[in-house]
Amino acid sequence: MATATREVYWNIEGEPWLYLLLIIALVIFSYGVYKRVILWKLGQPENRWKDVGQGVKDVIVYGLFHKRILKDPYPGLMHLGLFVGFVFLAFATAMITLQADFAMRIFHGWLYLFIKLTSNLFGLIALLAIMAFAYRRYIQRPDRLDNTPDDAITLALLFTILVTGFVIQGVRIAAVPDPWAAWAFVGQWMAIPLKAIFNQAQLLSLHRFLWWFHLVLAMTFIAYFSHSKLFHILLGLANQFLRKRGPIGIPDPIDFEDESLETFGKSQLREFSWKALFNTDACIRCGRCQDNCPAYLSGKHLNPKKIIQDMKVLMEETGAEVAETKKASVTQVAGQEAAAASEPEEWAGRALIGEVIPEQDLWACTTCRSCEQQCPIFVEHVDKTIDMRRNLVLMETRFPAEAQLAFRNMENNGNPWGIGWSTRADFLTSLGVKTFEEDPEAEYLYWPGCAGAFDARNQKVSAALVKLLQAAGVHFAILGNEEKCCGDSARKLGNEYLFFSLATENIEVMKGHGVKKIITQCPHCFNMLKNEYPQLGGDFEVIHHTVFLLDLVKSGKLKLSKSAGKSITYHDSCYLGRYNGIYEQPRELLKAVGLEIKEMAHTGEKSFCCGAGGGRMWLEENEGQRINEMRTDEAIAVKTDYVGTACPFCLTMIGDGIAAREVGEQLKALDIAEILEKSI
Amino acid sequence: MAKGIYIIVEQRDLKIRKVSLELLSQGRKIADETGETLVAVVLGHGIEGLAQTVAASGADKVILIDDEKLAEYTTGAYTSVLNKLIRKEEPEAVLMGNTAVGKDLAPRLAQRLGVGLASDCTGMESEEKNFLSFKRPIYAGKAFAYLTSNVRPIMATIRPNTFKADAPDASRQAEIVTEIAEIDTTDLSAILKEVAISASKRPDLTEANIIVSGGRGMKGPENYGMLEELADVIGAAVGASRAAVDSGWKEHKFQVGQTGKTVAPTLYIACGISGAIQHLAGMGSSKFIVAINKDPEANIFNVADYGIVGDLFEVVPLLTQEFKKLVNE
Amino acid sequence: MNIIVYIKQTFDTEAKIVMDGSGKINANGVNLIINPYDEYAIEEGIRLKEKLGGEVTVVSMGGSHVQTAIRTALAMGVDKAVLVSDPALENSDEWTNAEVLAKAVSQIPYDIILAGRIAIDDGASQIAVRLAEILDVPSISSVLKLDITETQATATREIDGGTEVIEVSLPVVITAQKGLNDPRYPSVAGIMKAKKKPLKTMTLSDLGLSVEDISPKMNVDKFSLPTARQGGRKIPGEAVQATQELARLLREEAKVL
Repeated sequence: MATATREVYWNIEGEPWLYLLLIIALVIFSYGVYKRVILWKLGQPENRWKDVGQGVKDVIVYGLFHKRILKDPYPGLMHLGLFVGFVFLAFATAMITLQADFAMRIFHGWLYLFIKLTSNLFGLIALLAIMAFAYRRYIQRPDRLDNTPDDAITLALLFTILVTGFVIQGVRIAAVPDPWAAWAFVGQWMAIPLKAIFNQAQLLSLHRFLWWFHLVLAMTFIAYFSHSKLFHILLGLANQFLRKRGPIGIPDPIDFEDESLETFGKSQLREFSWKALFNTDACIRCGRCQDNCPAYLSGKHLNPKKIIQDMKVLMEETGAEVAETKKASVTQVAGQEAAAASEPEEWAGRALIGEVIPEQDLWACTTCRSCEQQCPIFVEHVDKTIDMRRNLVLMETRFPAEAQLAFRNMENNGNPWGIGWSTRADFLTSLGVKTFEEDPEAEYLYWPGCAGAFDARNQKVSAALVKLLQAAGVHFAILGNEEKCCGDSARKLGNEYLFFSLATENIEVMKGHGVKKIITQCPHCFNMLKNEYPQLGGDFEVIHHTVFLLDLVKSGKLKLSKSAGKSITYHDSCYLGRYNGIYEQPRELLKAVGLEIKEMAHTGEKSFCCGAGGGRMWLEENEGQRINEMRTDEAIAVKTDYVGTACPFCLTMIGDGIAAREVGEQLKALDIAEILEKSI
Repeated sequence: MAKGIYIIVEQRDLKIRKVSLELLSQGRKIADETGETLVAVVLGHGIEGLAQTVAASGADKVILIDDEKLAEYTTGAYTSVLNKLIRKEEPEAVLMGNTAVGKDLAPRLAQRLGVGLASDCTGMESEEKNFLSFKRPIYAGKAFAYLTSNVRPIMATIRPNTFKADAPDASRQAEIVTEIAEIDTTDLSAILKEVAISASKRPDLTEANIIVSGGRGMKGPENYGMLEELADVIGAAVGASRAAVDSGWKEHKFQVGQTGKTVAPTLYIACGISGAIQHLAGMGSSKFIVAINKDPEANIFNVADYGIVGDLFEVVPLLTQEFKKLVNE
Repeated sequence: MNIIVYIKQTFDTEAKIVMDGSGKINANGVNLIINPYDEYAIEEGIRLKEKLGGEVTVVSMGGSHVQTAIRTALAMGVDKAVLVSDPALENSDEWTNAEVLAKAVSQIPYDIILAGRIAIDDGASQIAVRLAEILDVPSISSVLKLDITETQATATREIDGGTEVIEVSLPVVITAQKGLNDPRYPSVAGIMKAKKKPLKTMTLSDLGLSVEDISPKMNVDKFSLPTARQGGRKIPGEAVQATQELARLLREEAKVL
């Protein structure tokens, strides 16, 4: 058998034009890249180039293997189809280039057949994917997709490139018998009607025409790449590489001891880092963030996708303005300095806060991070919101009035409700719990948090947890009146100064008592103590009560009895689930007591926020529907006896939702600890 | 030689305020105990008709100071007149109600006279060494201070409702004296432009002394009329919990709680309110809390001084009736 | 415009009041705040400065711990501060405090003096009006709305059952009622700047006063605490009896009706 191959450049003359076109395309491409790079450089320095090994892994897992993309199977599979097609066609093109330009004799034999088969198979799938994309975008019109000319151009371009590719193949096979045509099966199918319609001379002309047309389109693709959404192919992978690793959701600390600091928080685009600006270009407008944002879904104006895209527009406006200024200064008489054109100057264009992003949008965010969790390329939305809130709170002092009360209360009495600090220990000591003062040898610090100490509803959870811990023989003590609010609400609302003062005091007290291990029932406290206190020197082993209880059960120290007959749906709290990856442990505990678990529509990583995060527990909700009522409706729809939570905020919000829906007889909201306590 | 217990009687639109009658009753008791004369001083314009009411309430002597410039209370004119009178008559003690007038007038007058002042007293007794001893709340009633003075005249303002006004004795006779108002022109520099008495007797929520509040248990906006009736009987403001405001039964300005208004009235009556922490954060500092709720487990009962477990639709109208009786006593 | 604001540092509203061995109120560990009504005064003072230009000085009396309250006022936007601090003032009454305050204030030029209408610790509501009397300046108390021009003040004040409007030429003493404005939250930039703003401390002798000059007119003989409040008392019986009993309790026991 003759070696499988086909003649590269068969029927084609004028190959040097190819290279000319390629050079032009590459120049346009490079210019496009350059234009974007100077925009990213408008931002502040930030080192993201660490953890290279993990970065490569992330690109493979999230890019190559589409880990997050596939979580939404319908568009995910489509994208996979196009992606795989791309990969194989790129591979094919690479091989041909090596053969044609680098004189590597490889385009034959099994490699050739492999290329033929995969190009046809995956190219066809890619073609179908593109048609599916177009159908979804233009016929189905899901809410989360907005349409721009770029979308149509790109789809049309890719479609035409693929179709012409197949037709060229078909024409060639129609014109010249190909013993391996079966491998190029699409071409083979096309050859039949082509041969019927056109004669040989026509076929040859058609082939030549289409080949050059296809080439021009391919070069257009290259040139257009960096001027269009196609850029996401590289930027998306880069964003996955550059993502923030480690515990998510931690804003950068502000050093208030630094007397040279003049601004706190960010109000100008240029105050953000280059990576923040890079985010806006990497964002491919897929809209998964929008589709999962509790604020957006409950009718608030806030839309995480819009924020990123609007920042992108502002970035472009800023870039244009900076370019203007540079041009103006260049034409100035020599000797006149172009005043620090690289420093953020007084921006005279649209204000980031207020004009580009309405202030109410900044306050509407619950920091649930579903947007960031769903984003396939790891765009970071929430830390920008917090940075802008910081500006509003620390500089402008312009924030919802209810927040002022919460701040004052935390300042004066160490809890957002403003209940006398000297009564903080009362409930727990009434249960017989000792303070560290009384029992310095305790192994664990039990941190009830403000809710566990003061909120009547959550005191029941504290009582249950205390009973469980005592039953398991755990040696623990509390800080009592020395405990102050962990500072989560303050920090997430942007009041970094208040957070700083609360956190440093708490850390000092805990260190003073030699605290090493902490158990807490509140995911906000848990996240704060574990992941954010280290920024200020607090270094403790922090365990959420569900994780701790599960350990106790597994090690036999806590014995639970199983009773059948009741069902429960478990609400994953954002700060336990998405922030800290704790999804299974609470569920295992529920199974251990014999409850039948049914899941709500939004569960696990897609859990729907109760609405209290981001300091919103202390704010009024004036726009749209109530987030907590929407979540309660989901719980009601599952028709279980209970809805289980592991967070005092969630417990309150869902409890309120149940009361609002008047289904208190049919559905009860309970904390995991309360459920377990009934089964000891 | 100082003599007499002087009660500065407050009148508005020729109607004597209840606190003045309360003071006359208590003043009468002390006058009887100590053998002092009880003198009532009335300022205003066209006030002759009030002398008899004042006499019937226990005064031995009534001093009327009638002048056009005293028709409405102004700080300057009243201070000027009383200062001159007191320097002339040299009473042992000068007392008045701790009303808006009293709060404004008493400190100014005390300073002009160069004497001390015990404000907002909730107790007054005769005392051996210093003639009178006063009890007054401090730290919003979380503690009490007991005061005396060896400087004359002793001055104090008394909190309304501290003493009971005895039934008037129409047969009582008193010496009635009229004095000329001596007002320094410098005391007339402030000009009273306008007085606006609100048509609704219902006070503003933020500084109200008594608040009647409704929550989820109210079941609908139309039922607030019942609370308003109760409120009007005792001169209370009306409030609502967040649940009620969210349901659209009351506007946000009535909301009491973490995201609404923080209030600290002397009496807070919570009807159909569960007492969740967000609500308590807004009214927990109330001096006295009454809870009416049909759920005996409701958290509000843990913080209430007095609680009634029952159907508020039954309890509230009955309570209104009881309060009406009290007010008319 | 020269604006003076008189403020007092008080116990936090949630503070537990306990007595020490000698029958005095124990201030140990108590959280101290700016008297909430004085915040309205500070805010109004700053707004006046923003509108008419000039300077705001805050004046206060007490121990060195009062400096935290003063720094907060400075952080809000007040320009300078004067603190009168002298151990001899520990047992002063309102007359004494007003005399001392007047001595301090008369050293500062003023067009308007603002204060809160009442302090939440002593609840006496006297000092500002007494101050006005000593300075021989009109006073308007319990103000809900204030309009100031270079020469005149028009104030809406709260009276029982309504409001009245008073017009007077400056200078004047105004005491602020809740609702006059919404006090601003100090910005961090403000807090930083406050550390460097001038705070002058003065003793009695700095003011030219001796202890005898200012001996109090009113004496506190003793303090007492009320009987501890018991939550959770449910009135038994059917609605008719329960409501009767409640009315009785409110009148005779609580004495609120």
